[in-house]
Amino acid sequence: MNEPNGKQPSHWLTLQSAGSGASWGCRIESVGVQVPARRLSTRELMSRTNHHTKIQLERLTGIHERHVVGPGENSFTLAAGAARDCLSHSQHQASDIDMLISTSITRSKGRSSQSFEPPLSLYIKQAIGATQAVNFDISNACAGMLTGVFILQDLISRGEISRGMAVSGEYISHLSWNAAQQIRSLYSKQLASLTLGDAGAAVMVERAPQGSGMDVIGFTTLAEHSRLCLAFPSSVGPGAQMYTKSRTLHKVAIEDMVPLIAEAIREAGIDVADIDYMIPHQTSARAIQAGTKEFVRRLGARPKHVVVNLEEYGNTSSTTLFVALHKYLEEQRIRKGDRVMLVALASGIEIGVAIFTIDNLVDGYGHVH
Amino acid sequence: MGTYIEAACAQAGNRGRKATARGLANDAARTCFSRAGCKPSDVDMLINVGIYREDSMGEPALAALIQEDIGANLGHPPTGGSGSFSFDLLNGTCGVITALQIESGLLQSGVIRLGAVVSSDVQPELENPGAHFLQPAGGAMLLRWDDRLAGFTDFCTQTFPEYEDLFTSGLVWQERRGIRAPRQGNGHHRMAVSVKPGYQARLVDCADEATRRFLRRAGLGVEDIDLLVPAPSRAGFIDPLQARLGIPGDRVAYTPEDLEGSYTTGPIAALQAAIKSGRLDEAQNVLLLAAGAGITVALALYRQTPPAG
Repeated sequence: MNEPNGKQPSHWLTLQSAGSGASWGCRIESVGVQVPARRLSTRELMSRTNHHTKIQLERLTGIHERHVVGPGENSFTLAAGAARDCLSHSQHQASDIDMLISTSITRSKGRSSQSFEPPLSLYIKQAIGATQAVNFDISNACAGMLTGVFILQDLISRGEISRGMAVSGEYISHLSWNAAQQIRSLYSKQLASLTLGDAGAAVMVERAPQGSGMDVIGFTTLAEHSRLCLAFPSSVGPGAQMYTKSRTLHKVAIEDMVPLIAEAIREAGIDVADIDYMIPHQTSARAIQAGTKEFVRRLGARPKHVVVNLEEYGNTSSTTLFVALHKYLEEQRIRKGDRVMLVALASGIEIGVAIFTIDNLVDGYGHVH
Repeated sequence: MGTYIEAACAQAGNRGRKATARGLANDAARTCFSRAGCKPSDVDMLINVGIYREDSMGEPALAALIQEDIGANLGHPPTGGSGSFSFDLLNGTCGVITALQIESGLLQSGVIRLGAVVSSDVQPELENPGAHFLQPAGGAMLLRWDDRLAGFTDFCTQTFPEYEDLFTSGLVWQERRGIRAPRQGNGHHRMAVSVKPGYQARLVDCADEATRRFLRRAGLGVEDIDLLVPAPSRAGFIDPLQARLGIPGDRVAYTPEDLEGSYTTGPIAALQAAIKSGRLDEAQNVLLLAAGAGITVALALYRQTPPAG
């Protein structure tokens, strides 16, 4: 429990929990997704590299294909589409939204490969008719959407707002095309760029009765490792290029993530085995397997299910957690009463953990109780 | 009980050398910590609100690099202490006030004990080289909770999307023309900035309207405001705005010349001027106001009075 206006020193995570005595609980009310219709197989992508790389990307990563934008699609259209889909699963209207946070790394719109001002959130709220919403953008690499939920959680639990939306549209396949022109071997720092896919996602967060909803949500930045993954505007082609020290990044992530997850689980007052679905950031199937193995070794138990959807989507950056959650809701795999843990991992290194129990969220996806 | 400003610092870029956004933010943050007499490791949350950088880096958040540069909690968890959480927030000139609102809430909830807001901008490489629109500068603020002060009591952000196209900026790709040298790129990205006629006048209109609505909601009149801390600092914005609102010049925090044109740092630059002149200490009701692209107007009421009730 948080001390009034004083942070608990035993936490490394900057952490909010249901037990902190806040006026209100906070819950995820609906999730929406927009993925482009066009699919690009790993085989096709690798056939278009400038150099003969001999990289067996699908075997290495578990990614069979990813969705990529077609003409007229960009970060803005993906975000707006996801926001509309989110509303279609929600009991609320766009005009009910008090705050809208755009959380994507990419902000392409019109002729801009990266829009700066006005914030993309302004265009999104106009597109969906969220006329009453306060809007701003945040950027926190692949942890952007969960960071948005973290911000909304505090505003909602203090009663400052009733509901808010975090939305992201990631048009990132240009990083793959730019990398494909230069990549020569498995050891290229641009290898991770070949795993990316485009997607938009949105999540509505709303007020819930005190003590219910989100059990815990926490974040930290392991800034000592801030330079392990860097992305800049490209000089190869429109869009960006990303340079990642993948092996070091995963080594650090696996080493440092486990005690942080343990901290969140402890704060939630539950055991590892109480978690029905762990949804980690989707980078590669091997990395997720290695991470889970270390998790089980050090914490002595495993969640009932570990969600991996890389085969179909690849790494969709800040949207991965919510694309996966949406898929499991649509497929009615996640059910009322299930406890879900979202684990964000991003350049920075940013690590975020959210634990919550599914309640009314399933109602918008045709579940019959 | 409320959030109070522990320290603020704004610094102009040194004209003699090429400033970087990261360097400017780092310098301002270090000076701010020094003024507050606390260590970077004390900070629980660091929000960077700067927008324009020399490299337009997409990830990680610049805030993470700043956290590393200033040495805020770089150990491995768990080492008995607490970590820091850093991210970037983009809301143009209004970013500082939006970040203040977020951190003020988290201080109230007890989730954080010390919050930092940092800002910095440098002139990006422009599509139209003659369109320089900002002065390189960096800023930082530190926020704490105090049981004896009302502190930040009200926040408001209002947008006027009917004017969304009056100021726009974004990176555009430009293909390289002519013969290319070996290893030379195919092109580059440049910042396209568009400012349409009437932007300045509409900025004043919107700031006027939003301020009046905000004060009405807070149960205050213009005469109750002891100090207006406005951004941007251009005379073309402040002079007509204060005339419209009826706030005399001796109740306005003017930004010194060397920081005029600072972009996201604008509100911190004006605040620092008020701190240095002693006028912030003398004021009970302080109104922070920022206006920029969108058109977006952000307002914060900072009350140096005992908490209500």
